[in-house]
Amino acid sequence: MQQLQQDIIVVGGGGAGLRAAIAAAEANPKLQVALLSKVYPMRSHTVAAEGGAAAVTLTEDSLAAHFQDTVSGSDWLAEQDVAAYFVKHAYQELVQLERWGCPWSRKADGSVQVRRFGGMKTERTWFAADRTGFHILHTLFQTSLRYPSIHRFDEYFVLDLLVVEQRIAGVLAIQFSTGQLVQIRAKAVILATGGAGRVFHYNTNGGIVTGDGMALAYRHGVALRDMEFVQYHPTGLPGSGILITEACRGEGGILLNKDGYRYLQDYGLGPETPVGQPKNKYMELGPRDKLSQAFWQQQQLGLTGDYQGHAVVYLDLRHLGKAHLASRLPFICELANAYVNIDPASQPIPIRPAVHYTMGGILTDINCQTSISGLFAVGECASVGLHGANRLGSNSLSELLVFGKVAGEQAAAQAEQANIAPFSAVAGQCQRQQSYISSLFADSCSDSSVAIRTELTLAMEQGCGIYRDNAGMQLCLNRLQALKDRFQQLKVTDNSNLFNSALLQHLELGFGLDVAETICRSALARTESRGAHQRLDQGMTTRNDTDFLQHSLALRQQDGSAAISWQPVTITSLPPAARHYGSQASGSPGNDTTGSSQ
Amino acid sequence: MSDKPVSNKTAPGPYQPVMHRYWWLQHRYFRLYMLREATVLPLLFFIGCLLYGLYCLGQSEAQWQGWLAFMAQPWVVLLNLLAFIASLFHAKTFFELFPRVMPLAPAGFMIAGQWLATLLVAAGLIVILGGWI
Amino acid sequence: MNKSISIARYHPEQDNQPRLQAYQVQSDHSTSVLDALLQVQQQDPSLGFRWSCRMAICGSCGVMVNGIPKLGCKTFLRDYPDELTVSALAHFAVEKDLIVDMQPFLQHLNAVKPYLINSEQSAEPHRQTPAQLAKYQQFANCINCGLCYSACPQFGLNPEFLGPAAITLAQRYNLDSRDQGKAARMPQLNGKNGVWSCTFVGFCSDVCPKKVDPAAAINQGKVASAGDFIISMFKS
Repeated sequence: MQQLQQDIIVVGGGGAGLRAAIAAAEANPKLQVALLSKVYPMRSHTVAAEGGAAAVTLTEDSLAAHFQDTVSGSDWLAEQDVAAYFVKHAYQELVQLERWGCPWSRKADGSVQVRRFGGMKTERTWFAADRTGFHILHTLFQTSLRYPSIHRFDEYFVLDLLVVEQRIAGVLAIQFSTGQLVQIRAKAVILATGGAGRVFHYNTNGGIVTGDGMALAYRHGVALRDMEFVQYHPTGLPGSGILITEACRGEGGILLNKDGYRYLQDYGLGPETPVGQPKNKYMELGPRDKLSQAFWQQQQLGLTGDYQGHAVVYLDLRHLGKAHLASRLPFICELANAYVNIDPASQPIPIRPAVHYTMGGILTDINCQTSISGLFAVGECASVGLHGANRLGSNSLSELLVFGKVAGEQAAAQAEQANIAPFSAVAGQCQRQQSYISSLFADSCSDSSVAIRTELTLAMEQGCGIYRDNAGMQLCLNRLQALKDRFQQLKVTDNSNLFNSALLQHLELGFGLDVAETICRSALARTESRGAHQRLDQGMTTRNDTDFLQHSLALRQQDGSAAISWQPVTITSLPPAARHYGSQASGSPGNDTTGSSQ
Repeated sequence: MSDKPVSNKTAPGPYQPVMHRYWWLQHRYFRLYMLREATVLPLLFFIGCLLYGLYCLGQSEAQWQGWLAFMAQPWVVLLNLLAFIASLFHAKTFFELFPRVMPLAPAGFMIAGQWLATLLVAAGLIVILGGWI
Repeated sequence: MNKSISIARYHPEQDNQPRLQAYQVQSDHSTSVLDALLQVQQQDPSLGFRWSCRMAICGSCGVMVNGIPKLGCKTFLRDYPDELTVSALAHFAVEKDLIVDMQPFLQHLNAVKPYLINSEQSAEPHRQTPAQLAKYQQFANCINCGLCYSACPQFGLNPEFLGPAAITLAQRYNLDSRDQGKAARMPQLNGKNGVWSCTFVGFCSDVCPKKVDPAAAINQGKVASAGDFIISMFKS
C-alpha cells in the first residue's frame, strides 16, 4: 500500500472542491493540498448546471431581499445566520470568478447581466449563456493550475476516511488506473463530493453523483441533516431526465398541459402573467417544489400528455424567437434537438420533473466544520443549512463558491496548527479495508450490482417521490433493507486490477444504499409537509411549525441502520410565516393557500 | 492499405497505437485534405513551363518556337489543364478556410476584398507581361 | 429492436492489441452509443469506458464510432443502420478497452497557461462589452473531450504537438479583453510544437461536438504568431 502525506486533502474536484483547494492554497502557499477526484475535475457534475449563480447586484435589490427569498424558499428551515453570511458574500465571490476569467454574459455597456430565476423577487442571477456551471467549473479548474501547491490525484476513489479519536487523519483511496490502495495522511480533509441524485430512477444527474461523501462521513458517525428534502427539478427531459434549465422560464418560457392550458394558475401561482412578460415569483417563476407538485396534481387529473410512454407537460419557448434562443439558450436548443428531436423555436419541449438536488447532507456548522475535528464538508454533499426544505435555483452555484472559500480557509487554519497522525494509528483501519476489498471478489455471483441499483432507484422513486405517504415509505424501507441484505452477498466478478469499474460501481452502490436509507427514514419521521417533502397522509398535509420547525438528523447506529433525531433551526430575524407566491406574495398575509398546504 | 497498425508494446501496459503509412486514405476528409495539398504538384509543372518559356523568349526565335511546339503537345496541354483545375479547387478551399483565420473582420467583406485583390493583381500581371512581350 | 455492435476490447493484462468483440443490444429511436455501452456493461462488467453526464457537456465519453471521433452520448444508433464499431479514441495510448490515457492532453492544456493573467486587484468586475465577449466566447466552449486530438493527424504523427484544444484555449485567453498574458503564452505557440505544426487539415473542427472550431483558433494563432515574429524583428 502506497503511503503519502499532505497537509490538506480535498475530496472531489467539482466547483466546491476546486474553490476550496484554491482558497487553501491562497491562504498559505506552503501547505500541500491534495485534490482527489474519482473523475478528471472538468467531468464533475458542476459542469451540467445551466441557469446561473445568485448574488445581489442591482441597486434596487438588497441583501435583505435575497435573504428573505432564500429563507422563505427554504420553508423556514434555512439556518438564518448561514443565509445572512451567504447573501453578504455571494457578490464578491462572483466578482472573484469574473476576475479569474469566467465569461459572464454582459449588457451592452459591458457590465454583468442578471436574469430572473424561480422564487427570486428580483433579477439577481449571473449567467454565462446557459452553460453557467460549465464555465464556472472550467474557470476554477484552469485557475487551479496556477497553484503549484495543489497536487491533483485524478481518478482516485476514496474508500474510507481515516479517523483517530474523533480527529481526521487522512483518507484511504484506490487508484482507478492501477487498482492500488493509497493511504494519504493529512491534517485536514474537505469533503466536496456532490449530491446523491442517482439513488433515484429519474434524475438530472450524471452517473457519478452517487452520494459517496455523505456515506463516508455517515459511516464515521457524522449526522446527515435534512435528508428527506430532495428537489425535483420541474423541467427534465422525459426518460433521460436531462436538465432543461429554469432559465428557460426566466427568459419567458411557459408551461402547458396537454390541452395547452397554463395549469400553474390553478396551484396558487397565478394569476396568469401575459406570455412573454414573466414576473418574478409568479406562475412559471414560482419555486421548484411548487412547480413539481403541480405536475403531479395534473398527472392525477389526467391532464398530462404522453411522450414515448412518459407523462409530460410542455415547455413552450416558441414566442422567444430563434435569435433570442440562440443567444440566451443555445445549449437548450442543442439538447432538445439531440435528445427529443425538437427545435424549441418551432415546437414545445416535452418535460417532466426529475430528481435534481439533495438539499440535505453532511451536517456542518457555518464554518463547514463537521463533528469530526479537521473534517470539513462543502457543496451539495454538505448541509451547511442554506437550503432548508427547498433550494432556490441559482443559490447553489453561489453556495459552492462562498462556502468553498470558507472550507478552504478553515482547513488551512486547521492544518497550520494540527499534526499528522502517526502511521501506526491508522494502520489497522487500512488493513481492515484492504481485506474487505479483497473479500469482494469472486469468480461468479448470481446477483448483480446493476440489478440491485435498478431496484434501489425504483424503490426510491416510488416511495420517496414528489408526494409521499406512510405506507409507501414503509414499503420503500422494507425494500431497502432487503437490498442491503442482498448487497452483503454481492460479489465483484471482474478480477482485473486496472480500471475496474465494476469494483467502483459496487462501492458506489454500497454508499447509495446507506444514503437512500437516511432519506427514507428522515422522510418517515417528518410527519408534516414542508418544501420538497409533501405527505398525503391525513393530518400531515400542512406545515406544522409546533413540532417540526426542526432539522432532522440521521445518525448511523451499531446495527448499520439510521436513527433520526431533531435539531432546532437557527432563526435570527425572519420568523416563520406562510410562503406566498403569485398574487399572494404582494398582497397582505392572509390565508395560506399557497404555502405548504396542498 | 495492407499495413495494419502495429503496436510497439513490449510489457503489459497501455497499447500505443502507431499511425500507419496510409492514414490519409482512412476517410473522405483526409483524402480531400491530401488532394488539396497535392494541387501543388501540377502547379509546379505549370510554373516550370512558364519559367522555361520566359527563358526561351530571351534566347532565340528558334528556341521560342520550340517551346511553343512543346506546349502544344497533348500531354503538356493535359497537364496544364489539370493544373488549371487544381488551382480552381485550391482557390475554392482557400476561400472557404480564409474567413476562419480572420478573427473579427466581417467574412463576406473579406472574401469580396480577396477576390478583388486577386483580380487586380492578375490584371496587372497581364498588362505588364503583355507590354513586355 | 436488436442491434449488433462491435467493440474494440483491450485488456493490458491479457491482450497485445485491441480485438473486436460483437454484442447484441436493444435499440430504439433514442438509444445512444453510450446507452448501448451501458447495456453491454450489464452483460460484461469488465468492459471499461468513461462516462458521466450523458448530456454532452462533461466530455468523458469520447470514442471512435466507425473510425470517426464522437461523443458516445450524442451519437445515436438510429444513424447507423448498418454496422457499428466502437473503439478507443485514436492517437492516444489505450489503457483498457475504450479508456485512453488523457495525461498528454492535460499536459498540453497546462503548457499554454490557460488562465487569466492580469495583476490588477479590484473588488468590482471588469467591463467587457458583448462584442469583446464574442471575440473569444466560442473558443471558451471547449469541453476537453479530446475528439479533436483523435481527428488531428499532426498530433497522431507528433504527440508533442500542443494540439487543437490547447491552442484554442490559449487563443481564448489571448483574445480576452481582460487578459494581459499573451506575451507569456506566445513562446509556446511560436515553438516547434505550436501553431506552425498545424497544416489546416480542419477535421478537428468537423468532429468538435460543441462547434468550437479549433482549426480557426489555431490559424488565428498563426496570424498572431506571425505578427509576434515581425514585431520581435523590429525590436531587436
